[in-house]
Amino acid sequence: MQNRLEKAIALAGAAHTPAAGVAPSGWAVLLRRMGRFWRSAMSNRGARVGMVLVTVLVLVAFFAPWIAPYPPDEMGAGMSLLTPEMAYPFGTDEFGRDIFSRVIWGARLTIQVGVIAVGISLTVGTLTGLVAGYAGGWTERILMRLVDVVFSFTETLIALAAVAVLGPSLSNAMIAVGIAAIPFYARVAYSVTLVERNRAYFDAAYVQGAGHLRLIFLHLLPNIIPPLIVVATLGVSSAVLAAAGLSFLGLGAQPPSPEWGAMLSAGRDYFNQAPWIMIYPGVAIMITVLAFNLLGDGIREALDPRQTV
Amino acid sequence: MSATKSIEAPNDEPATRPAPVLEVRDLCTEFRTKAGVGRAVDGVSFTLHEGEILAIVGESGSGKSVTSLSIMGLIPDPPGRIAGGSVTYGGRDLTRLDEKALQKLRGNEIAMIFQEPMTSLNPVLSIGRQMTEGIRQHTGMSEAEARKHAVEMMRRVSIPAPEKRLGEYPHQFSGGMLQRIMIAIAMSCSPRVLIADEPTTALDVTIQAQILELMRDLRATTGASIMLITHDMGVVAEMADRVVVMYAGRKVEEGRVEDIFARPRHPYTRGLLAALPVLGTAGEVGGTQLNEIPGVVPALTDLPNGCRFSDRCALSTDKCLAEDPPFADRVGAHSAACWHSDRLAPTMEATS
Amino acid sequence: MASFLAQRLFAALLTILVTTVAVSMLIHLVPGDPVQIMYAQSQGTTPEQLEEVRARLGLDQPLMVQYIQYMGRVLQGDLGRTIRGDQPVLELLLARLPNTLILATSALVIACAIGLVCGFVAAYRRGTWLDTLLMTSAILGVSMPHFWLGLILLFYFAVHLQWLPVAGSGAANLVLPAVTLGVTNAAIIARLTRSSMIDVFDQEFIRTAYAKGLPRALVLYRHALRAGLVPIVTMIGLQFTYMMGGAIVVENVFGWNGVGRMAIQAIFQRDYPLIQGFILMFAVVVVLVSVLMDLLYAWLDPRIRNR
Repeated sequence: MQNRLEKAIALAGAAHTPAAGVAPSGWAVLLRRMGRFWRSAMSNRGARVGMVLVTVLVLVAFFAPWIAPYPPDEMGAGMSLLTPEMAYPFGTDEFGRDIFSRVIWGARLTIQVGVIAVGISLTVGTLTGLVAGYAGGWTERILMRLVDVVFSFTETLIALAAVAVLGPSLSNAMIAVGIAAIPFYARVAYSVTLVERNRAYFDAAYVQGAGHLRLIFLHLLPNIIPPLIVVATLGVSSAVLAAAGLSFLGLGAQPPSPEWGAMLSAGRDYFNQAPWIMIYPGVAIMITVLAFNLLGDGIREALDPRQTV
Repeated sequence: MSATKSIEAPNDEPATRPAPVLEVRDLCTEFRTKAGVGRAVDGVSFTLHEGEILAIVGESGSGKSVTSLSIMGLIPDPPGRIAGGSVTYGGRDLTRLDEKALQKLRGNEIAMIFQEPMTSLNPVLSIGRQMTEGIRQHTGMSEAEARKHAVEMMRRVSIPAPEKRLGEYPHQFSGGMLQRIMIAIAMSCSPRVLIADEPTTALDVTIQAQILELMRDLRATTGASIMLITHDMGVVAEMADRVVVMYAGRKVEEGRVEDIFARPRHPYTRGLLAALPVLGTAGEVGGTQLNEIPGVVPALTDLPNGCRFSDRCALSTDKCLAEDPPFADRVGAHSAACWHSDRLAPTMEATS
Repeated sequence: MASFLAQRLFAALLTILVTTVAVSMLIHLVPGDPVQIMYAQSQGTTPEQLEEVRARLGLDQPLMVQYIQYMGRVLQGDLGRTIRGDQPVLELLLARLPNTLILATSALVIACAIGLVCGFVAAYRRGTWLDTLLMTSAILGVSMPHFWLGLILLFYFAVHLQWLPVAGSGAANLVLPAVTLGVTNAAIIARLTRSSMIDVFDQEFIRTAYAKGLPRALVLYRHALRAGLVPIVTMIGLQFTYMMGGAIVVENVFGWNGVGRMAIQAIFQRDYPLIQGFILMFAVVVVLVSVLMDLLYAWLDPRIRNR
């Protein structure tokens, strides 16, 4: 985590070369840069594999009703605890539900977790870091000190505390996981903002008399986006892991939800007779997390070839 | 060029010819890159004699540092490797020695100092440790004896309060002091050959002069031969007995320093000399003209046909573009690899 | 160095202070009436009893007063009493804390042993098939949910092979949770060690060390490892924090009797005094570890030590 942060900061400096002196609308520049950025990221083998896996995941989630042979909660779709066979590729669980169908439907929940949790941390974190970096002075000191304090707690504890307050449910788990990662995004956004604030284009816009909002949203924000894309991509994998963990503990999705962590939690009592109950949801989590890790690492390398992990 | 170059041989018997210490023959060193295999050093030969200072000159990318690392057996493999040729020292070909045998030579009989003293010393180890470890490795001294020797060496390179400074760390020293320490480390086992890779490039001008002075002193007192790698013809003029000029992995000119400065036989050497600020005109800042050679050293994977310097050379003709000029080796004398050596006029200093 | 440590200590104290504020206010963030929620699971609690609890917890006081009262109690070592069973929170937590620390520490030792070696070897053999193999395993390891790995190990070694006990808190019970937590974190350490060591191997002082004629082993051990250790130690400090977080989950997989397992039960039971105590204690442990790491860091890096 620390390492990711340092990398993100390092690449903030290396990511781009805005023409000195002119104050282009940051978004236009960003759009033009994205094409190059994308090609460069996709020249990385890991990133290509990650992208393919992510695409498959999204397609599976979108077409779940057509792909899955049974509804996820149809009890007695088959006998209970059937071994995997043609009709039930991943076997059935203790209620005779088709595990394959449940894993397919679970992809929807996982995508939701990724989007909502990362959405929360990305929005709040970016704004915090951006404002702190832009404002400077006391605002900066207080905000960032607070962020540092929260950061030192580890995401697990913050997520637990949030669930303790909100109560167990999948949506609360998403919110909790999102809140827990805010400090991380804030620190990245903050350090990148500091770099950008000292660039020529920012001074130029400032001299031209751009207002605070214009400076922040038209000039700074688009320029801090590339490193944040890396952080957010890797962030999806930690969010998915964390939310699955909460569900596994019973603090997230509740039965009969086909959320993968919750499926593992419910299946543990039958592990002995029916190991497949435990295998497929776990593999699904792992592939999802792996996909976003590969993609994130690849994009990072594309942004900054010096850093190769 | 009347100045400082030829120092009397440290040898007391003036009759004896300086014997060769290190002979490099047809050295080829390759690097494997994404763009293909590049020969950073391509068939380079030269001889380093007893007690002499031989300057290897060229811009960055000319292969001079790779030459020195090849001699030391320090080419990182992969991606690099010595593809051919020999380096003869003490009757043995260093390119064929195993790692163990090389370790016995490195820092003991052949020592090396580098360009950036600040980054060439380990920031987390004390100066004392970094000095004594080499001494102990090669002499079998105890830690206490090695420390004593280290203090002695620090004194010889004029570091004040050496006993105290032995316990300090690199960040507590200035760049000039660190380069003195690097020299002390290199000289601590009385090597016969010292390879100095741009030893003054990273330093202030006044410190540069001190370091060069120190190296000359050490040569005089120990009789070590020095291979001085530099891109700075000013340093060459001040230090070297003989000069090898390298360009794009090849030796393009070799000769005594007086000859090279008075009558360069390769346009590249001529260019390097022209890039020197003209002495005596330093006062008129605006007036001094630094003549840089246009263009850059070509990429090793993308060398021009014919003479490698042809695309930057004012004298270049169709023959230069078509045929690679051989190195006209006139043994022991001043030679170059150029079709048009005879068309080069002597420098101003030679005519005046 | 004094100023560096003073700065770190200040940050540590601030962290604990902010935690106490957050923890004492935690209960007010709960949507709805916390007292009712707390007692929702107990049958037949009268409104009078609820009022009494409210008064006992000081929830009827102004926030500022509540905080001061809370701090006063905390400073005397009183973290309150649990809702279920009416036991002193601090004692309960302290009784279980050693188990969690043992688990986290053993896992850290395993993670470091595997991660440092693999990362170092991968960096040293950079670009070879060995590097590819190690780093592929590492990214798989990073992507593996540790509760899932735990379940599989549990099934295979405890249930299937019956080599190790399924649950409990003895020495044999420690093996699986420690390995589970250690292996997943080893992957992270291996990746970080590799990139840190690659930076070091490219440094000029490594070339200097070879040029001195030092044998390879000495260059690697004394020069490369010592220089690479500074960032690695920082990272290991952070890892311990993650271990503590991961322990919460892993304890629940293996029934390891630590504070994490207790905390999850407390969350289910809405036992807020216990949850508050747990968070505070966790923060104190994390802060202590990070101060320790700063000391170690300052001692390892002469640039800080001699400032």
